Amino acid sequence: MWRNRSLGAIFVLIITVALAQAQQPNSCVDCHSALEGELHVTQEQFAQDIHAQKGLTCASCHGGDPSKTDDSAMSKAAGFKGKIERAGVPKLCGSCHSDPAFMRQYNPSLRTDQFSQYQTSIHGKRQAAGDTKVAVCTDCHGVHDLRPASDTRSKVHPLNIATTCSRCHADAEYMATYKIPTNQFADYKTSVHHEALVERGDLSAPTCTTCHGNHGATPPGVGSVANVCSTCHVFQAQLFEASPHKAAFASAGLPGCVTCHSNHGISKPSDAMLGTSAHSVCTNCHTQGDAGYKAAGDMQQQISGLETSIVRSDRILSQAESSGMEVSQPRLELDQARDALTKARVTVHTFAAHPVRADVDSGLKITTKTYGEGEGALRERDYRRTGLGMSLVAIVFVVVALRLYIKEIEKNQ
Amino acid sequence: MGMLLGGGLFASALSFFYPVLRYLVPPRLTDMGGDTVVAGKVGELRPNSGKIFRFGSRPGLLMLGSDGQYRALSATCTHLSCTVQYRGDLRQVWCACHNGMYDLAGRNLSGPPPRPLEQYDVHVRGDEIIVSRRREA
Repeated sequence: MWRNRSLGAIFVLIITVALAQAQQPNSCVDCHSALEGELHVTQEQFAQDIHAQKGLTCASCHGGDPSKTDDSAMSKAAGFKGKIERAGVPKLCGSCHSDPAFMRQYNPSLRTDQFSQYQTSIHGKRQAAGDTKVAVCTDCHGVHDLRPASDTRSKVHPLNIATTCSRCHADAEYMATYKIPTNQFADYKTSVHHEALVERGDLSAPTCTTCHGNHGATPPGVGSVANVCSTCHVFQAQLFEASPHKAAFASAGLPGCVTCHSNHGISKPSDAMLGTSAHSVCTNCHTQGDAGYKAAGDMQQQISGLETSIVRSDRILSQAESSGMEVSQPRLELDQARDALTKARVTVHTFAAHPVRADVDSGLKITTKTYGEGEGALRERDYRRTGLGMSLVAIVFVVVALRLYIKEIEKNQ
Repeated sequence: MGMLLGGGLFASALSFFYPVLRYLVPPRLTDMGGDTVVAGKVGELRPNSGKIFRFGSRPGLLMLGSDGQYRALSATCTHLSCTVQYRGDLRQVWCACHNGMYDLAGRNLSGPPPRPLEQYDVHVRGDEIIVSRRREA
């Protein structure tokens, strides 16, 4: 009973506070909802903003007194700052977001190092040097309808980050003065990372900020590319570190992973990248006669052999299945061979044929067994068919014999 | 004629009863239906170890923790469908293909796995460890 009364009282209190807030005059929005262009801000729009939801008002950033309806609302006496110049945006946002004591009351787990990180970024450094074109907080996070990054409508939600970055970085005209490529977004859209993020909905898949950082956005240098990739691709990075390619790439000034896999347009790795064919990336450096050329050919041959063997086993098991045979156990075992193939494709990053052979051999052992089980299932199918045929012959034989027997009885009568 | 008829009837009877006899031979599988399976016997696992069992057409992972508690998860990695295994030294579930790590509740901790592993219920009935798929509430 008391619990119900308490809940009721809390509900009434919330409604009262909400109504009181709704009735508070806001001369800023009253006027700005009637303005056009950049100055247009509606109550509905601002109500979506995380700052409004946390109780902040227009005056929190722009100063002034929204409760006044005359010119005094925008007076110096009321602390009116007006439009915040781009150059002043990071500092203004940082005045709250870099203050742990202030931020703790809203979200204790929110980081408060964004502004200091921004100052170390290319954006921040250029901005400090007087460049007004580079990104400031509002370019990425939006303004007046700013939502938390976990909101799918936020410009900085993982699904939207690449589009947000591309607004500047894919605009050749806007980026012309910086003399950097503008094809990153177009390339990224063709990549396996984009496919994982957007098509498969894997929010842990990388987008721009995963590799470049967000507030401290800086392109990773040649020496640190492998470190960036290794945050997810741990095994490949460990094998690469211990491989002869590590020293060879370093001496040639080549970045680790991207030399073979490219950067923004990383496509799903295929076995064709390995070996000595025209599509191979190995032949970009290795030529016929050298040890690397031979190792590339060997590794490709082994992997291709295991894949062919898996396909062969899979085909015979499918044939047995479509004939009504129970082959779920060998199917399960064949998955182990696929595991071995996946491992072999990772082991390729040792760039030596011997370790790859160990993985491939363990897979081939399984495919030999499962193929045998598939053959056994087909033999069992044939045995059953033969048995069925023989029983049908026996039945027909009995029917014919009965008919002849009846005829003979009739004849004798 | 009588012999022919008798032989024919005998062959027919054989063809009827042979499949019945084959049916009566106990099947090798321990699958108790789509949602439940006997994953092992009590005493089969040492504490802090795990084993792969067959759950329908997919592998499952049965673990016996150091606390003596049985746990079971889907053994199919949510990254590229490799079979995961229990790592006693780490007390975690590990995917050997790309170094994906999960905790004992199946939550993806590190590496490329994008989602947790499916959790199964475990019951001990007599000396059998029964694993069942969780039903939606």
